[in-house]
Parts: sequence; structure tokens; C-alpha cells
Amino acid sequence: MINFSQVTKRYPGGHEALSAVNLSIEQGELVFLIGHSGAGKSTLLKLIAAIERPTSGMVTLSGQNVGRLTRLAVPYLRRNIGLVFQDHKLLFDRSVIDNVMLPLDIAGFDRREAIKRARAVIDKVGLLMREKANPVSLSGGEQQRLCIARALVSRPALLLADEPTGNLDAGYAADIMAMFRDFHQVGTTLVIATHDDRAISALGGRTLRLDHGRIEEVAA
Amino acid sequence: MGWLRHQKHALTAALGRLRAQPVSTLLTALAMGVAISLPAVLYLGLGNLGQVAGNLPAQPEISLFLDTRAADAQRAAIAARLKQPDIAEARFVPRDEALAALSAAQGLADISAGLTQNPLPDAWVVRPQATSRESLTRVADELGKLPGVAETHLDSLWADRLQAALAIGRAGVWLLASLFAIALIAISGNAIRAQVLARRDEILVSRLIGATDRYIRRPFLYLGALQGLLGGLAAIGVLAIAGAILRAPVERLAALYGSTFHLLAPTPVEIGAVLALTAAFGWIGAWLSVTRALQQVEAAR
Repeated sequence: MINFSQVTKRYPGGHEALSAVNLSIEQGELVFLIGHSGAGKSTLLKLIAAIERPTSGMVTLSGQNVGRLTRLAVPYLRRNIGLVFQDHKLLFDRSVIDNVMLPLDIAGFDRREAIKRARAVIDKVGLLMREKANPVSLSGGEQQRLCIARALVSRPALLLADEPTGNLDAGYAADIMAMFRDFHQVGTTLVIATHDDRAISALGGRTLRLDHGRIEEVAA
Repeated sequence: MGWLRHQKHALTAALGRLRAQPVSTLLTALAMGVAISLPAVLYLGLGNLGQVAGNLPAQPEISLFLDTRAADAQRAAIAARLKQPDIAEARFVPRDEALAALSAAQGLADISAGLTQNPLPDAWVVRPQATSRESLTRVADELGKLPGVAETHLDSLWADRLQAALAIGRAGVWLLASLFAIALIAISGNAIRAQVLARRDEILVSRLIGATDRYIRRPFLYLGALQGLLGGLAAIGVLAIAGAILRAPVERLAALYGSTFHLLAPTPVEIGAVLALTAAFGWIGAWLSVTRALQQVEAAR
């Protein structure tokens, strides 16, 4: 599903985040990216979602050359990807349910259908009691769950999560990892960047270690 | 499938954003209104001036002097020609009446007293329907060729001067309107820019989860158009107030000249045109502003 072929990403200023990375991820896989901060985990995720473009090499997603997409085509690529951010990127000028409905509005869903879907996914992450609340009133763990709900509401085949448990205490982190395991079991492809070893050992799956822009498989 | 839904969504969002900031909405509308009211006042002023000119007696006239030896049949033919629809008015001036008028005119009585016989011909004073220079000349030429007509004299100087003055006025209106249209785009662009900056996060997040530029731009375009529309309404408000203040003194002045002149209000079509144009220029300003901001937001990420 995802293919990296000799991918190098150099940021302006010369910092090389990824160096000649080769990588292949199959559909339905659960993949953890680990490594110290600054090792290139975020960069790798950003290259898949066309948030950054490779300096050289080729990134493909379902056969599409992601690095070569035009500005017009990028939104349609992203609609098939659920993105979970460490800083949540929620909008605080609207309610929980409106945050979750944003991807459906963007895709042009019928409002009633959108509400139905949003409710279902909010229920799944355990926030149905708070659907009318402003996200600012939610705890860190709840905000992260809301971010996950928004990433999943359009039922993407691929979920990319960058440090989804980064700011959370152990209890919340375990909840969220359990949620990811459920999605993995229904066939969603997940790529999760984390430094949370407990989560990895609990879920199993494939683990890749990034070190100074180089990638290596970690034996299970 | 989602096109209409997107439009409705964007319009609702735009209305919400206008309502959320009533003071800045009002101030922007006022700035636009004042800017647009200036060329609008000039335009209406020209219309009113045209109305005054239309009421003045000094109309473009053609004087038609008959040959003193013209036969009665020729005179009848000329009179019949002057009854045709392209002639608005034709007045016959017999030579005796012309001499009497000449004698009555101050300073000319002495000259006419010295005459042993009336040297003046019979004449027609003709006011054609059309007042453009070309059609006046054409009618004068045609009438001059009629048998029994000795000479035609086209008094077109007044018409020429009026046309020239009105042409300058009209060019001025367009010049001013173009300048203020640019001002309108700038005002709208600036107002929308503030809105775009305030919604930076929303734009970034929307882009990240698959929003197209069109989707992001749309509510701002509606916002610009609505803001422009409010500006147009403000301009019409300014005109209405100006009209109410000027009406009484203008009509008093007109009454002193024995005229029943009234200020002309803009027609519904003209009001509609002002609203449509301000909405359009608000839209253009918003488009420029949000397109620029989209590029900057993306680059700054």
C-alpha cells in the first residue's frame, strides 16, 4: 500500500531528516515507528500525506506518486487518510460534533447522514455525553480521542498517528492504543509514530526504528 | 452532489461571520458606502443637470427662411413636410411679425424705422425630434433642399456645448467610478484578509483533512460579496440622506426661477446596478485576498 524508494528529505538549512529510506507497508498492517525525537518519524508520516515532499526518491500510496501530486489533487489524497496529531489540531470555535463533522462537510456529505456518522464515531471514542461541548473544556485524553474520531469519521483505509499518546498519562494511553487495536482488527492500515514502548509490546505488530534518518526493522 | 450543499454551507458560514463582528462589518460597509456614493452622486447630478438642460428654452433649432418668390403650393408642401414625426415642433413666423419683433427689440427700432419696405422673408422655426449633432445637420440639409426654401440656419452651438460638457461629465463619472471600484476591492480585500488571518487554524486544519482551495475560499467569497452588498446599501443610504437634505433648497431655488424642477431619485434599475456592482467588487477583493493568504498560509507551515 505504501512504498518508499530511496527517499531523502532535506529541509531548507541542510538538515537531513530522512536518508535514502526504503520501506514497504502492506494493506491492513499495523506499523510502529520508533526512535528518538528528531529521528524523522514525523517527516516520514508527512511524506505519506503529502504534507511534505521528498527531496529525492519516490513515495507511492496505492500506486500514486504522492510527491508529484498537484496542489489540486492533494485534498483528494488526504480524504482517504485519517490524520491524528500530537497537538490534536482541534477547532475551538465549534462543538465536539462539529469538529468531527468537518471532514464530512468538506467531502460534501448530506448533513443528516454526517450527523449520524459523527455520532457513531463519537460514541466509539466514548465522548457521546460531550458532543455539544466545546473541545477546550475536554481533558488532554479526551481531546486526543476527539482528534481520533475526526480522523476516522470518513472511514479512511489508512490512519497515520504522530505521537498519539505523547502527552497522556498511562491510563489514557492504554485506552487509545486499545482503540487502535480495534481499528486494526477491522482492516484499517495504521502507521503510528511513538516512543511509548509499553504500547508497542501490548499491541504487537511490526516495529521500525528510525535513527538519524535511517530506518531499520526491529525484530519482534 | 455536494455542490449546492457546499454553497448553502458557505453562505450560512459567511452570514455567521458577519453577525459575529457587527462593528467591523458596519465600519467596512460605511467605508464602502462613502466610497461608492461619490461617483453615484456625480452620476445622479449629471442626470439632474440633463433634466435642467431639457427644460431650458434654448433648444437646438433650425431656422428655415423662405424665398420671397415662393409659390403658395411650395409653401403648402413645406408646411406639410414639417408636420412629419421627425419634427418635434415647427412655428411659422410671418415677415410682418418678424419685423415687428425686430422693431420691438431694444436698439434696433431706429434701424427698422429707416426701412422703406420689409426686407425680411417669411420663416419657420423648427425643432427636430432628434438632438444629436449628426441628425440635426441631416435634417437641416434635407429641409434646405426643399423647393421654395432660400436658406437654412442651424443653431447647434448650444447643443454642441451641452453635448461636450455632458461628455466630460460622463467620462468623469466613469473615471471616478473606476477609481472607487479599485478602492472597493482594496477595502473588501483588507476586511477579508483580517478574517482569513483570524481563521488561519481553521484553514490549516481544513487543508490537512482534505479541503480543496475552493472549499476554503467559498465562505470568504460569500463574505466579500455580502460585505459589498452592505456597502452598496450604505451608499444608497448616503444618497437618500443627501437627497433629503438637498431637496428643499434646490426646489426653492428652482421656484425662484419659475421652474417646477424636482431632484431625480435613482431608478430601481440604477439601485440594482449599484448593489450588483458593489457585491461583485466585494467578491473580487475577497478572492484576491484569500487566494494570496492561502499561498502564504501553506508556505508558512
